[in-house]
Amino acid sequence: MSTEDRKYWRRRDFLYGLGAGVGAVALSSLLGCEKQVVGESTKSPVIDNPLAVKPPMFTSKAKACIFLTMEGGPSHIDTFDPKPELARYHLTKFDRQGEQFSAMSSGNRYIVQSPFTTRKVGQSGADMSAPFVHLAKVADEICFYRGGQAESVNHPTAMYHLNTGNQFGGDPAIGAWTAYGLGSYNQNLPSFVVLPELAFPQGGSANWSNGFLPAQFQGTTFRPEGTPILNIDPPPGVSRYHQRSTLDLLQELNEKHYQKHPEHQELQARMHNYELAFRMQMEVPDIIDINKEDDKTKALYGIGQQETDAFGRKCLLARRLVEKGVRFVQLYSSGWDSHDYLARAHGSLIKSIDQPITGLILDLKRRGLLDETLIVWCGEFGRTADNGVREGGVAYGRDHNPDAMAIWMAGGGVKAGHTIGATDELGQEAVESVHPISDLHVTMLHLLGLDDNRLTYFHGGRYKQLSQFGGKVIGELMG
Amino acid sequence: MNRFPVQQLYRLTILAISFMTWHCSSEQGASKSEYGEALFVHEIQPLLQRKCLTCHGDDPSDLSGDLDLRSRRSMLQGGQSGLSAVIPGKIAESRLIHAVKRVDPDTAMPPKEDESLDEDEVELLEEWIGLDAPWPDEDKQQEIRETGAWQYGNRLPVRTSGGLSADWDDRRYKLDKLWAFLPLENQEVPGMQHDAIHPVDAFIDAKLEEKGLRASKQAEKETLIRRASFDLTGLPPTPEEVSDFIADESEGAFSRVIDRLLESPHYGEQWGRHWLDVVRYADSDGYSNDYIRPNAWRYRDYVIRSFNEDKPYNQFVREQVAGDELDPNDPEMLIASGFLRMGPWEHTAMSVQAETRQLFLDDVTNIVGEAFLSIPLSCAKCHDHKYDPIPTRDYYSIQAVFATTQFADRSAPFLPSENLELLDEEKARLEAWIEKTKKEQREMKAREENAARSWYAARGLKYLPKRERRRLPEEQQPPRYYGLTHQDLGYRKVLNKRMQILNRTKARFDPFAYSVYNGPNRDVRSHQVMKMPDSIPQDPPATHILGGGSVYSPTQEVPPGVLSAVVSLGLPPDRSIEEALPNPIPTGMQGRRAAFADWLTRDKNPLVTRSIVNRIWQYHFGRGLAGNANNFGATGQQPTHPELLDWLAIYFVENGWSIKAMHRLIMNSAAYQRSSQDAYASTRREIDPDNRYLSVFSPRRLTAEEIRDTRLFVSGEINPIPGGIPVRPEINQEIALQPRHTMGSIAPAYQPSPRPQDRNRRTIYAEKYRNMRDPMLEVFNQPGPDVSCERRDASSVTPQVFSLMNSTQVRDRAIAFALRLEDQYPDDLAAQITGAVELCWNRRTTRQDLESSLAYVESMVEYHQKQKPIAVEYPTQVHRKMFEEMTGEPFEYSEELDIYKNYTLDKKDIDVSVTTRALADLLVVYFNTNEFMYVY
Repeated sequence: MSTEDRKYWRRRDFLYGLGAGVGAVALSSLLGCEKQVVGESTKSPVIDNPLAVKPPMFTSKAKACIFLTMEGGPSHIDTFDPKPELARYHLTKFDRQGEQFSAMSSGNRYIVQSPFTTRKVGQSGADMSAPFVHLAKVADEICFYRGGQAESVNHPTAMYHLNTGNQFGGDPAIGAWTAYGLGSYNQNLPSFVVLPELAFPQGGSANWSNGFLPAQFQGTTFRPEGTPILNIDPPPGVSRYHQRSTLDLLQELNEKHYQKHPEHQELQARMHNYELAFRMQMEVPDIIDINKEDDKTKALYGIGQQETDAFGRKCLLARRLVEKGVRFVQLYSSGWDSHDYLARAHGSLIKSIDQPITGLILDLKRRGLLDETLIVWCGEFGRTADNGVREGGVAYGRDHNPDAMAIWMAGGGVKAGHTIGATDELGQEAVESVHPISDLHVTMLHLLGLDDNRLTYFHGGRYKQLSQFGGKVIGELMG
Repeated sequence: MNRFPVQQLYRLTILAISFMTWHCSSEQGASKSEYGEALFVHEIQPLLQRKCLTCHGDDPSDLSGDLDLRSRRSMLQGGQSGLSAVIPGKIAESRLIHAVKRVDPDTAMPPKEDESLDEDEVELLEEWIGLDAPWPDEDKQQEIRETGAWQYGNRLPVRTSGGLSADWDDRRYKLDKLWAFLPLENQEVPGMQHDAIHPVDAFIDAKLEEKGLRASKQAEKETLIRRASFDLTGLPPTPEEVSDFIADESEGAFSRVIDRLLESPHYGEQWGRHWLDVVRYADSDGYSNDYIRPNAWRYRDYVIRSFNEDKPYNQFVREQVAGDELDPNDPEMLIASGFLRMGPWEHTAMSVQAETRQLFLDDVTNIVGEAFLSIPLSCAKCHDHKYDPIPTRDYYSIQAVFATTQFADRSAPFLPSENLELLDEEKARLEAWIEKTKKEQREMKAREENAARSWYAARGLKYLPKRERRRLPEEQQPPRYYGLTHQDLGYRKVLNKRMQILNRTKARFDPFAYSVYNGPNRDVRSHQVMKMPDSIPQDPPATHILGGGSVYSPTQEVPPGVLSAVVSLGLPPDRSIEEALPNPIPTGMQGRRAAFADWLTRDKNPLVTRSIVNRIWQYHFGRGLAGNANNFGATGQQPTHPELLDWLAIYFVENGWSIKAMHRLIMNSAAYQRSSQDAYASTRREIDPDNRYLSVFSPRRLTAEEIRDTRLFVSGEINPIPGGIPVRPEINQEIALQPRHTMGSIAPAYQPSPRPQDRNRRTIYAEKYRNMRDPMLEVFNQPGPDVSCERRDASSVTPQVFSLMNSTQVRDRAIAFALRLEDQYPDDLAAQITGAVELCWNRRTTRQDLESSLAYVESMVEYHQKQKPIAVEYPTQVHRKMFEEMTGEPFEYSEELDIYKNYTLDKKDIDVSVTTRALADLLVVYFNTNEFMYVY
């Protein structure tokens, strides 16, 4: 038996032990049950389980969402929205119009052509830059969207906006709203899971906050290194016997205390949590163990190759989580902020996600899960056609651009094989089918069977919603 | 209506000027149709405009569901469905009623839940349909509008500075939703005949009687002292304090406990923390870089001091809003106005100055509303307030009060009362880091220059230093960063960023106050020390109403002002708002905030006085008399005991705005001292399931900070000294070392303070980073520091179990606790257990507790005899890997963890005996019990 196996068995043994040892607390929470009844019926109020499965507000295909978040602002021009006109103006001086100036974006500027060639791919003839080698294979599964607009030119505020609908942070993330609206198919797992990069994004954990929603809906990070959930492992040297005796005593003391305060229902909820915690302790290590997959599947995601291994693992884990009933999985890829060396920086980043994402789409499809899973790819904003004079004009890059960006969706309910909306001829601004981030949010919720106007939470004297003040479904993206 | 005393209603009716009151009575046939038409003009049409026409009329080419609500005819005709929206005279059959009552979620209207019609509005529609839905023609409408006089039910017009539209100005407000804006009213204490009764109880008991509820008996003494101790200090009583109180059977024993607790320096820590929740205190900026704010901690200590000194609340408000104007030479005043900068804020080369400035202005306007007025003003930022009499003009007038407010790190000598103990040590550490980083930067430069030398040498050219060659054509100088690997390039950025962070942090060792001054706008970035400018021009920036709240759409200019509705409702109808303000806000550069603060703290300001007494009440009882402490507007919960709230507010002002006087008053009431055990539970469950009428005392879970502080308190490790530069407790090490992106780099690792006594300070003194929360505090509902927290949640979530059962932080406290007990009761396990029970649960040990605990410890001794503990080592460096943004290639570096090189570990399992470990196991269980976690 390997160390890994022993660890696993130890937990499982413990759980069996737990079932026998907890006395009054019944192991009643089955997958998908609506309510959980705890304890004896006379003094056992039903505890509402906020993560119980809730029906969607209307029929929808997608039951879960995988949100591929490209932190830093990927360039639409150099990925899915080519601008051949730029070649004509390459290195011509450019005067920035408008008011949204940061210190970084003022000064002398010049137009930059894309370092990449581009071509039409798939039956649908979608535009895709050359570094995307694999994704071309699944182009017809994708709906490309060019009409999106962000508001902020600055990373942290734009990230908060993309994630929570509010530039200034503090509000619930879209994953938290989804979990709140749909509940979870699996009571032993969090319903909103975040797979961050090694480094947390700018703005930190507020990007997956539950905001004013109950704490159950907070995004749980499964970090790529270390323990996936903080403190999920018992301290070293603690055995099954030890944990069992400990819990028995705790439940005994709590039970006695509860008899003194039978009116105080929170006590039961707390007692119940100890049971849940240890079921989670069993299930999580099992799910995140991607070694359970066969080699062919791993290869499909590019696992084992240096450039694609990290993101490939995340994509595969995302599939496993969605399969187990997690509602919203957010994957981060960071470093897309290519002010310089666009060719190298975007080139290697595209490489790092190209095969993994393709693998994810193919794998979901062959398992019949693609229809039930909404995949969304985007960053917090797009990039400009021009750049400031840096690096003596040799290290071409692009600046932040909130007026145009690349977004695509695949899977559950989207209009696959189409390109919707357009930007102007230089890619500076969306001009066709233009929608703000709030509409993207409303659309994502809609595809998941949720109505933003009804998915509300009364807080601070107002029914709050993800889009803040309402938005429109982007109908053209619907299949 | 019965909530408001007669004389007030009378005055308000006068205020509604010569409004003729309409009565609908069936005998008056002619007036019935007149009434119906007036109802339409004054109520129904504006309601349709507000709630329906955006989709059903404003754009006739795009009618949602083809339904047009612009005329009676089209309304009766209906839309796509072919069914009439309204059937005159038939309320129940009218689909409009069906829709606005939201009977079926798929046809509910308006679609946004947030815009749902309230009961009143639904009733209006029903009444109108019941009257056969009269719809006079345009001329008649105009005629009715011109006659003007209209009052419906308890709905009043309110004069304000003026809305963006005439429709809005014409709005009527329900009297009971306006409660907070109305002047304070002297209240008679109910049942004054029994003078023995405490006035608070007179109000509470009257309501209990009215509701048919019976109060529970007084709590047991050991419960009472635990309740009061946590309430006032956030810490449990000591076993001696419990036994002294139980032994004291004389009159006023509990009052003396209250007085003792109010004198404890821990009082200010506990109640200061409540205030810091409201103002969103943190030690860092948030956003990208999360820079340390130099000496934000001085504001934290100012708040604690103010509570301990029982500073009158009106003074406390004035100092925070305008301390720098009141006395710029008093460091305390400069520190106090740091309040204005407590929100998250950052300005960098990547952000737009006009936007970050506006972000501050919006933030400060809203927080002043939430914190002092209990009215979130941001609701009026883009449009006149939907429910409250707050026009957008007021929003920007209040914003104009802060238009001259600028950030500065102002020189303010440290005060004798400030704790500077760790300053020198922390400064030395920072300087060592700066030296080390500079050295690495020099080495990298040297490498670059060596490479440049060989570049010149290879071409047979004379070497030119960087300064001299920079302007030369490209081919005459080595390429930029020549000789540096991509590894170097990445690390170079890390070093630059580190220097920026170190330099920003360094400002905290100088006697700066995190403060403000008055002046024109300026472009200061977050990484800079924001010195006061040498000379300050005195022409103030103008404030405009911003269209849609966008800084790029300024419209009309507005002068600084106050909440106009509060002014007008306090006035006789014949006086104008302008003439009534005792202190008009000056329009010059100086003195705007001082004048605004004077308005806030007038004895009769109904919002400010109700706001603070409601907060005090809330922290004592778990819920305010008005349920939303930050929102007294129409959408907040209305007070359960409005008369008591007013009575308390007046008592508060009469007692010199003393918060401690309020504590004494409230805590000496029977309502505060009730048992949480409920003899009449079944009645209460039916009539008052949420215990709003306080027939019992509602138990509460300890807050995140109380949970940690109490563990330290019972383990005997707590270091009670107050104040000073923030300390760094141990937090989950994976999070401490977790890389966090800042702009272009990774933030330095979190390293705890090197000595246990510094780590074991109260939680309020722990460094609070916006972008890296202590997960253990976060999981127990410590609020995020970005939005104002009016009241803490106490949710029960699974990760709490992991942190309490499995974390090092809990284990270490348990070991220290075990050692303390062994030291106190050597070789007597039963006494150790009894001691633990008294410390953790503040009660005597039962035989059953003792027996099961003994049995458990004995079995754990056996277990540990077979188990060899593992030595714990902390890392002295951490390996970082990131992608270089310029090249997209990965690079690595290691960061020294200097503190762990000279670190005093807490006692670990390996350091203690088998019996200590077994006892520690028991104490972990105690820390997990509900009895530990709840106060009754």
